[in-house]
Amino acid sequence: MRTLTSTGLAIAVVLLAGSVDTGGAAPPDSGVVPRVGGTSFDGDAPSLTAAELAVRSPVVSFRVPSSLAMASTSEPEWIARMADGAPSIGEGGTRVPLRSAAVEDVADARVARFSQEGALTPYEFYFTRAAYSGSRGGWGRGGGRGQAWATDFPKADQQFMVVLRRLTSLDAYPDENAVLLNDPAIRRFPFLYALEVGYMNLRPEEISGLRDYLDAGGFLMVDDFWGVAEWRNFEAHMAVVFPGRPIQDIPLDHPLFDMVYDIDEVLQVPARGRGIYGIPTWERPDATVPTVSGIFDDRGRLMVVVNWNTDLGDAWEWAEAPDYPVEYSTYAFQVGVNTIVYGMSH
Amino acid sequence: MESIFTFLFKYRPLLFEEGEVVFATPWPVALLLVGAAAVAIAAVVTYAPESGKASPTDRAILATLRLVALGVLAFVLLQPTLVLTSVVAQRNFVGVLLDDSRSMQLPGTDDGARRDFVTGTFGPEGSDLVTALGERFSLRYFRFSSDASRVGDADGMTWNGTRTDLAGALDRAREELSSVPLSGLVVVSDGADNGGTPLAEALVPLQAASIPVFTVGLGEEAMEPDVQLGRVELPRSVLQGSSLAVDVVVTHRGYRGRTVEVVVEDGNRRVAQESVVLRGDDEPTIVPVRITLEEPGARRLRFHVPRIEDEAVAQNNTRDLLVDVRERREKILYFEGEPRHEVGFIRRAIQEDENLQLVVLQQTAEGKFARFNVDDGDELASGFPRTREELFQYRGLIIGSVQASFFTQDQLAMIGEFASRRGGGVLFLGGRLSFAEGGYARTAIEDALPVLLEDAAPDARAAFSSIAVRPTNAGLSHPIAQILPSAPEAEAAPTPRRDSIPLPATLDDAWNTLPPLSTMNRIVRAKPGATTLLTGRVVDALAPTTQIDEERIVLAHHRYGRGTVIAFPVQDVWTWQMHAAIAIDDQRHELLWQQLLRWLVDGVPDAVEVEPDRERVEPGEALRVRATVLDSAYLEVNSAEVRATVTSPTGETRTENLTWTVDEDGVYELLLAPDILGTWQVDVGASSGELALGAGTTFFEVGPSDDEYFDAGRRTALLERLADETGGRFYTPETVSDLPEDLRFTGAGVTLTEERDLWDAPFFFLLLVGLVGAEWGFRRVRGMV
Repeated sequence: MRTLTSTGLAIAVVLLAGSVDTGGAAPPDSGVVPRVGGTSFDGDAPSLTAAELAVRSPVVSFRVPSSLAMASTSEPEWIARMADGAPSIGEGGTRVPLRSAAVEDVADARVARFSQEGALTPYEFYFTRAAYSGSRGGWGRGGGRGQAWATDFPKADQQFMVVLRRLTSLDAYPDENAVLLNDPAIRRFPFLYALEVGYMNLRPEEISGLRDYLDAGGFLMVDDFWGVAEWRNFEAHMAVVFPGRPIQDIPLDHPLFDMVYDIDEVLQVPARGRGIYGIPTWERPDATVPTVSGIFDDRGRLMVVVNWNTDLGDAWEWAEAPDYPVEYSTYAFQVGVNTIVYGMSH
Repeated sequence: MESIFTFLFKYRPLLFEEGEVVFATPWPVALLLVGAAAVAIAAVVTYAPESGKASPTDRAILATLRLVALGVLAFVLLQPTLVLTSVVAQRNFVGVLLDDSRSMQLPGTDDGARRDFVTGTFGPEGSDLVTALGERFSLRYFRFSSDASRVGDADGMTWNGTRTDLAGALDRAREELSSVPLSGLVVVSDGADNGGTPLAEALVPLQAASIPVFTVGLGEEAMEPDVQLGRVELPRSVLQGSSLAVDVVVTHRGYRGRTVEVVVEDGNRRVAQESVVLRGDDEPTIVPVRITLEEPGARRLRFHVPRIEDEAVAQNNTRDLLVDVRERREKILYFEGEPRHEVGFIRRAIQEDENLQLVVLQQTAEGKFARFNVDDGDELASGFPRTREELFQYRGLIIGSVQASFFTQDQLAMIGEFASRRGGGVLFLGGRLSFAEGGYARTAIEDALPVLLEDAAPDARAAFSSIAVRPTNAGLSHPIAQILPSAPEAEAAPTPRRDSIPLPATLDDAWNTLPPLSTMNRIVRAKPGATTLLTGRVVDALAPTTQIDEERIVLAHHRYGRGTVIAFPVQDVWTWQMHAAIAIDDQRHELLWQQLLRWLVDGVPDAVEVEPDRERVEPGEALRVRATVLDSAYLEVNSAEVRATVTSPTGETRTENLTWTVDEDGVYELLLAPDILGTWQVDVGASSGELALGAGTTFFEVGPSDDEYFDAGRRTALLERLADETGGRFYTPETVSDLPEDLRFTGAGVTLTEERDLWDAPFFFLLLVGLVGAEWGFRRVRGMV
């Protein structure tokens, strides 16, 4: 708790001093696209149709941490098709175009500086956000016009980098960096952050891109998805990425929890507006218990860290807000720092 | 030429070399000179007046011819005499040293073997040569190979000696004959000296005692046709599972353009095979062979080229070498000043290498460290080691991106001493806080580095550039460049492939298809004596002032004191694992780091190091085992108790004490005379009071060597040098008949002075006749007769 407090004070000083250029970050529900560093984010593409969503609706094989007792059923047809590289099939057998223009537009604009083949990447670390095809808009991104992957983007990324650079000796790129899962240049960034994965709707090339990325040595941190339904979606995707490789609990004595900061309990980090004034920290009734779990490779390397029923990104994004509890933002930064340093050294 | 000389002057040139020419006339020389002058004047006066048709030129020529003829006549009248010091018959001894080594079984100059000349000449039946020698000298025979001993004659030879120790044989014969008048030593050998004793050491006492050595060279200078496996160099010990890049040198005569195989066997298992096309005669062909040694313990590796049917010598196609494959976990400390991807990827690359323990100390924030792979909670608990004892427990040290100012002056000195005194391997990685950019100029580290530091860039990020990396010629044959999986490893790779990116098929492909790396440290100059293994060409750069195509040093190393220091000024080798152009199954990144870190700790000494003075000895031959004993700070200890357990090939053990040599600090010796054929093991433990200092193990082989069959042609140059430097002479079987007479005039032994007339030498008569004839002919041509 002592480290929690001291880190919290450091973060408060950093953020309240106004040293973070949030680029006029919009409030969560304003629908305004933030602009930072001359590049833009625009969630202007249509989200997936109800038919496409329906594809994800069937009961799928899923697994949740042992803290929740869940059942698993058979694998649906679409997972098998994705594994085979075939596009998803919608109602009536119609091919559903899963291509998301929003994802590619955003990525083209924001990632071009670094991810093109042969471009230079002079920083040691880029906090890289996975830009993936999703089935809904990100929270507060224009009433569903944005994409799930871009939730809290880019303010959360920028603020986290400010704090990361202050708290560690890491040579981190100070701005955001988003890359498509199927962009070969993603392999230039061994650390990847993805959130709202309950709404991810990966195309086959994204599936294979993520698989190759992780197999090659990449590390994925997952955050901000809630409840059993979202878990099911994420787990189903992971089952296609790595068939037969389960998501396992990560115990508190795992090095992940004491890499830089000692963390002795898993807190549920709420979205802004929750966890205060008696409002619960969870977003839905089936999301009361936060967990940290992961996927390991054949040699025991932790490839994917899954933070479920918690919203670290929101804590990073709103750490400077007077109404956001410092306890949670401090914890969120500590988890983020630990995860990054762990991912870079393992 | 010598026979013409002998015809003209009656005696062989050697006699003129050994003797002295004097005039033996009974008349005073001055009187003779006056008389000669008078005759000369009379001759000139006779020709001077003008008469007949003779021109002044004609008269001058005629006068000159007449004067020269008169001069020759006067010289002869002075009675030139050759004064020689010759031995007194039967009062002197001659030592005859007969080569008894295996190489004497090889073909000689004619159809027979070299030994045939020895048995035919010095055997019990005798020969003209021995008879001639025996008329004037008492002969004493010695046989020699690795040792020398007296024999009655050549009948006692075995022709089975596994070494030829010429120097030792000369010493032995000189000492044994030191009490008798010795006219000279005769060495009958092919000259294939491999005894290891410098010949110069044996020559000095012979020169001091004026004992000439006469050498008789046997065999052809070059064996043809023949293939020979030349030099093969292996480290004495390697880490289990290490990949060794061994250069095998193949030479030949008479097989130009022929393809032969170089095979390496570990016991009954073939571990490598390479084909090579032979170049021109005597031109060495270097065959790089890559082997991986998986079985721990003393391994006898056999390198050989299968025999070609018409080869002159088949035994020189094989070399056996003993290598100690150590099954241990080498501990390497990797200190990184900031979180870096390189840490995770290096750890992952060597994760499955059971012989490497990479202990990582990583600064995550100022004053905050993360430790990985430590043995216990105390290890590195207070950060980077502050004492030599703590640092020197590691065998390798990697310094990542960390500023020089992080270290104290003593810690910087310790890092240098880690290589220079402890003998460890130090690897400096590139990064924004490395090399000049990390402030290492004018520190102890700058002295230790194998590269020269350029001026630091004001902003390391501005110096950022991409470089395409390639091995140098030296690098291509180095273990670290062997990043193509060997055949067994490739077969063991997971199947089916996880992506469609092709894997490299050749070593050139393996390097040429790697993506560029990046660096923030501009290193372009290696220090004198350093070796550059990898270079890089700048292909892209942030700063427009950076010269594209500039050649950078990517990996260089040098010896620094007892250890090795390596500079590797790139910062993202992990790209060779993660890049989209690299197949998931690609093992190049893993192999590079495994080879690099194994090389880093290769040959790093322990506190107690043991080694024999030779890898192979003959049964019963003396051998010295030396142990160097150091304390935990790697300072020599002279008062240690050092005990050895010697294990014979049959498993018998005995314990011996090693004694301090006195003349070398920390060095202890044990003299052994092993007699059982096979591999012997010596385990040495050292302690100082109750404190155990360390232990070490070494192996050696007892058995016959095939060295005799290598470079088995006659070494004429060596035999000639031996004769020239002692006043003797070199012979072949065709010229050896001169030996008895030459021995008479060496001046050594009991001698008397002998005078031999020269005035009646045919040369003077022919010269006189020629001069007179020339005068007559000239007159005839000019019409004066």
